[in-house]
Amino acid sequence: MTVPRRMRRLLVVAAATILLAGCQGGFPADPQGTLDRAREGVLRVGVSENPPWTDVADDGEVSGSEVDLLTDYAETIDAEVEWVPAGENTLAAMMREGQLDVVVGGLASDVPWTSEIAATRPYTTTTGPDGAEVKIVVGVRPGENALMTDIERFLAERGGEL
Amino acid sequence: MNGSEGEGGEEATGSGHDAFGEEQRETLRRATRLEWITIAWMSVTVALVALVAGQSQAMRAAWAEDVLSLLPPIAFLVAARRIRKRPDRRHPYGFHRSIGVAHLVAAIALLAMGGYLAIDSAMTLVTVERPPIGLTVLFGHAIWSGWLMVAVMVVTSIGPVVLGRKKLALSETLHDKVLFADADMGKADWSTAVATIAGVIGVGLGLWWADAAAALLVSVSILRDGVKNLRGSIGGLTDGEARTYDDSAPHPLTRRIEERAEAEPWVGEASARVRDEGHVFHAEVFVVPVAGAEPTLERIAALRDRVDELDWKVHDVVIAPVPELPPTQTFRSTLRTGADDSP
Repeated sequence: MTVPRRMRRLLVVAAATILLAGCQGGFPADPQGTLDRAREGVLRVGVSENPPWTDVADDGEVSGSEVDLLTDYAETIDAEVEWVPAGENTLAAMMREGQLDVVVGGLASDVPWTSEIAATRPYTTTTGPDGAEVKIVVGVRPGENALMTDIERFLAERGGEL
Repeated sequence: MNGSEGEGGEEATGSGHDAFGEEQRETLRRATRLEWITIAWMSVTVALVALVAGQSQAMRAAWAEDVLSLLPPIAFLVAARRIRKRPDRRHPYGFHRSIGVAHLVAAIALLAMGGYLAIDSAMTLVTVERPPIGLTVLFGHAIWSGWLMVAVMVVTSIGPVVLGRKKLALSETLHDKVLFADADMGKADWSTAVATIAGVIGVGLGLWWADAAAALLVSVSILRDGVKNLRGSIGGLTDGEARTYDDSAPHPLTRRIEERAEAEPWVGEASARVRDEGHVFHAEVFVVPVAGAEPTLERIAALRDRVDELDWKVHDVVIAPVPELPPTQTFRSTLRTGADDSP
C-alpha cells in the first residue's frame, strides 16, 4: 500500500508541469479548448426564456439582464456572441452534443442538468415561489474549466467580490 | 469490572479485560485514546472535504471514504467496551468475539468504500463526465478550487497517517485485528491523498479523465484490503486456526501450547485446537498419557495452569486426557507439520 519512489518522482514532475502551465496562464485548461476558440472568435450562448434574466422576442431577438451580462463578458475576450434561443432541455441536449459553450436563463444553482450543464458560482440571488433564497448561476459546458473560471472571475469582479 | 480484582490474574476465564496484563491494559487505554482522536479528526475532515469537494469525482470519493473510515474506530470502541463484560450463563464463552465482529464491520466498511469508489469512477470514465472545477473567492482573492482541494487533502491526510503508524504498533501488542485493519487503512490514506491530488491537478491540466482514473486506482487498493480483512475476520469468526495479528501466518502459540504439554513427564503426545476469540485464545489440549502414567486431577490442573501461564492471550484452557489422539479433532499445528514434513 505504499507509494513507490517512482510515483513520488512522477509527482514532482507533475508539480513542475503545473507551475509552468500556471506561468503561461493556461491553468486550469479546457479539455476541448473552448476559451481559446471563443477568444477573438465566437462564443455560442444558449438562451432559455426566463424574464427578467432573459427574454426572447417573436423575431428571435434576445434581451434581458443575463444577455447584457454575457455581451459584456464576450467583450472581455473580444468574442462575438452567437445567441441560440431554445427550451432548457433542448439547450441541455445541445450542450451534450458540444454545440453550445454557455447557457443562460436565470438558472438556479441546483440546475437539474448536472451532467450536461456545469453551474458557475452564484453571482446573485433571488426569492423563489416558496420564499426560499434561490442562487442564480450561469451554465457552462462541463469540464471546460478555463472558460468556467474566466466567467466566474468576470462575475465576481462585476459583483464587487474581487 | 469491579469485583473481579484479585481473581482475574489467576483464573483463566473472565472478561477480556481480566485477561490483560498491565502492558495490555495500558495499550488498550492508548488505543482507545487514539481511536477517539481518529473520530474527532475524521469528523473535521468530513466537514472540510464536503466544503471543497464540489464536482470532483475523486474528492467526492475521498469524502465517502472518510465517512466510511469512521466505522472501524467506532467498531473498535464498541468492542473494547463489550469485552469488559464477564462470561455468564447466557454467554459461557465470554464476549471476546465482539472483537471479531468489529473486525468484520471494519472489513465490510473497506469493501463498501472500495466498491463504491470503483463503480462511481468507472461510470464517470464510461459516460465521459468531465468534472467542472471552478473558482472560489477567498477573502477577496480568486483561487482555483482545485488548489483548495489539494490543500485540504494534504492537511487532512496527515492525521490518519500519523495515527495509523501509532495504532499499527499497538495492534501487535494487543493482538487486535480491528486496530490493525484501521491502522493499515489510515497508513494507506496518504496514497489516497497523493492519487486524489494527482487527479485534481490532472483535471487542471485539461485531462478530464485524470480524476476518475486516480479514484479507480485508489479503489483497487482499498478493495484488496477489504477482501484481505474479510477473509481474516470470517476465518476468525468461523473458528479458523488462530493466526497472527496481521493474519500473515498461523499463530506460534498453538505450537508452544503443544510443546508445553509434551514437556510434562506424564504426557506422551499432545495436540491443541486453538481459536482466536478476539484478543484472547481458547485452547483445547488433547493429551495422551505415556504408558503406565496416571492422568491425575492434580497433574491435569497443573498442566492447565502452566499452559495458561505461557502468554496472556491464552485465556480459556481445557485439558482433555484421551487414550489416543482423535484424528477428527486433532491436527498438528500447521507450523509443526511444516517443520516435520510429516505425512
